[in-house]
Amino acid sequence: MSIDAKQIKKINYFSKLPEDMCAKIAKVVEQKKCGPKTRLLEEGDTGDTMILVFQGQVEVSKNMMVKAASGFTMSRKSIIRLETTDPAPSMDPITEPNVAVVQAPAFGIGEFSLVLDDAIRTAHVDSTTDVEYGILKLDDFSTIVDENPSIGSPVYFEVAKAAVSNLATASKDISNLTQAFFFILTR
Amino acid sequence: MQTDKQPQEETTSFGKIEEAIQVNQTLYDRLHESLVEEAVTTVEEEKNVQHYKDYKKNPVVEYLIRLKQFYQANDLFRYALWSFGLMILSTGILTIVEYDLFSGDVADDIGDTFKFGDDGPNWIDTFFHAFWWSVVTFTTVGYGDVSPATHIGKLLTIIIMLLNFGIVTLLGGAVASVLVAARLKGDDKLDENKFHGHMIIAGWHPAIQSTLRLIEANKDANPIVVLINETEGEIIKRAVSGFERLDVTHLSENYTQEAVLKDAFIEECGTFMIMPDYSGLLPNEHPDEDKTVLTALTAKSISDGIQVVAYILDDEYISHLKRANVNEIVFPDEHIPHMLAKHVTDPGVPQLFDELITQEEQDKGIQVVSIPKGLMGLTHNKISAYYKFKHQWLLVGYAIRKAGFSLEDQMGDSGSPFIRNMITEQLDSAGIKLSSDEHVIVEINPSDNYVVDNKHRALVLR
Repeated sequence: MSIDAKQIKKINYFSKLPEDMCAKIAKVVEQKKCGPKTRLLEEGDTGDTMILVFQGQVEVSKNMMVKAASGFTMSRKSIIRLETTDPAPSMDPITEPNVAVVQAPAFGIGEFSLVLDDAIRTAHVDSTTDVEYGILKLDDFSTIVDENPSIGSPVYFEVAKAAVSNLATASKDISNLTQAFFFILTR
Repeated sequence: MQTDKQPQEETTSFGKIEEAIQVNQTLYDRLHESLVEEAVTTVEEEKNVQHYKDYKKNPVVEYLIRLKQFYQANDLFRYALWSFGLMILSTGILTIVEYDLFSGDVADDIGDTFKFGDDGPNWIDTFFHAFWWSVVTFTTVGYGDVSPATHIGKLLTIIIMLLNFGIVTLLGGAVASVLVAARLKGDDKLDENKFHGHMIIAGWHPAIQSTLRLIEANKDANPIVVLINETEGEIIKRAVSGFERLDVTHLSENYTQEAVLKDAFIEECGTFMIMPDYSGLLPNEHPDEDKTVLTALTAKSISDGIQVVAYILDDEYISHLKRANVNEIVFPDEHIPHMLAKHVTDPGVPQLFDELITQEEQDKGIQVVSIPKGLMGLTHNKISAYYKFKHQWLLVGYAIRKAGFSLEDQMGDSGSPFIRNMITEQLDSAGIKLSSDEHVIVEINPSDNYVVDNKHRALVLR
């Protein structure tokens, strides 16, 4: 599989861009391949690259301090799985999902690195099937935007939309956690 | 002029009211004909299902189930059954291997008497003889009237003797352990199958007798009652004699102990009532109400779901009991000022209360009845009409069982499922229920369009 403009356009952040701009991005994307059980992003790391997954399934997870029988332990909790539909993964996932599997033609992860230098990765991302992906560096993307200022707006708009919706969910989470906290206190 | 006019106006307005009532009555009748029919059919259907379930209880199946339970519960019975089985098996093997020896011997032994075979001893005679030998051997009596002759027979005998030695030891040990266990346990254990949805009353109070009498009178109430207190058995016996429907068991133990409450199957009980305990007190002594709080805490620690009703004399303990998550608190002194004041401000109200509460005649007074399933989801005015025209009862309001607060309801679908799941999982594993305990609250005379769901029961005046 070689990366072309069509594949870039499948990713929602770039869906509004004209074909020629997508082709420019496709040119700077470094194509990669990996088997299942490969860590694509590590929680807490900083990075200036965005990962574009064209084929395969990945699991997003976070480290959590949970209370187990033996006391508090750090445990990795799955949050969601993302799966491409165009094309679908070339194999079945190595483990059955115990979280929701969200499907999209192709998707990008670590999108905040498009706007932030050294964005901190907020979760782990591991492959659960063979994955075909590409790496887009912030520098390369910034150069394209500098040369063609018009493409910045639709891309940054999508990134901002994702950020705002994350923020809304996060504020709901805080309210749920606060409620749970008071619930336990008032028992 | 004014005085002349008034009666006429009143007559007209009364006429209008009567007309309105008539119209309403017709409307109600028409509206609820179908409704009543539907509701009654549902109730009858429910009854039919119950009959069907009863019919399905086959006596043979039930007997087998009881036998199985006995087998599982009784160590001695289990060991004896296994020993007997092993003996039969070993004897069977020996009979096959040493058939010639035992059949020859039985012929010499018993001659012509008691033979199953016509000409000579057949396999039944031989097997019985081998079994006799087996019992004589393993009880270590050893008459020596018969013994295996061949090497292989002797080898088998050695195995059987050792096997039997094991069986005898096992059986002896079982007998001993059952006897020791019975001695340690003291009282007979209550029959587990009987206790489900029963009532447990902890502590002894003079009001218990009249409480039980009222419960006896209500045919729908569960008749199984366990009293736990250290009052003399004779006093209890006298107090609970004369009940026909109630089945009262007395446990003479300290009810603050968890093990005692578990013996009364508290996890299965419908209501756990804690009374101020007058056991062993002189007439001028006051019961220790700390015990009530302690018992409530113990019961709730056994299971959060137990419905605990506490009767308290000193209001100081109310806050403690609330903290212990007691479902209902009965504090009679709370009513006294109201009753006294109402005699002055609203004469007739205290009398009404007396009538309503102390009305002991059957099927009279204020009662809680289940609402037929067909009426669920309907508005208050329709349900009110159903009771009025179907039963001639006045629907006063509703008793509603509901949890005060449910974290799950509060969270709903908001936020990320990951965080919600984590909260529920962690609370669950810490043994914290996601909703507060259910309490009964009442909704009196709600508005006509108040919607009634399956948590509601009707409070009717009959």
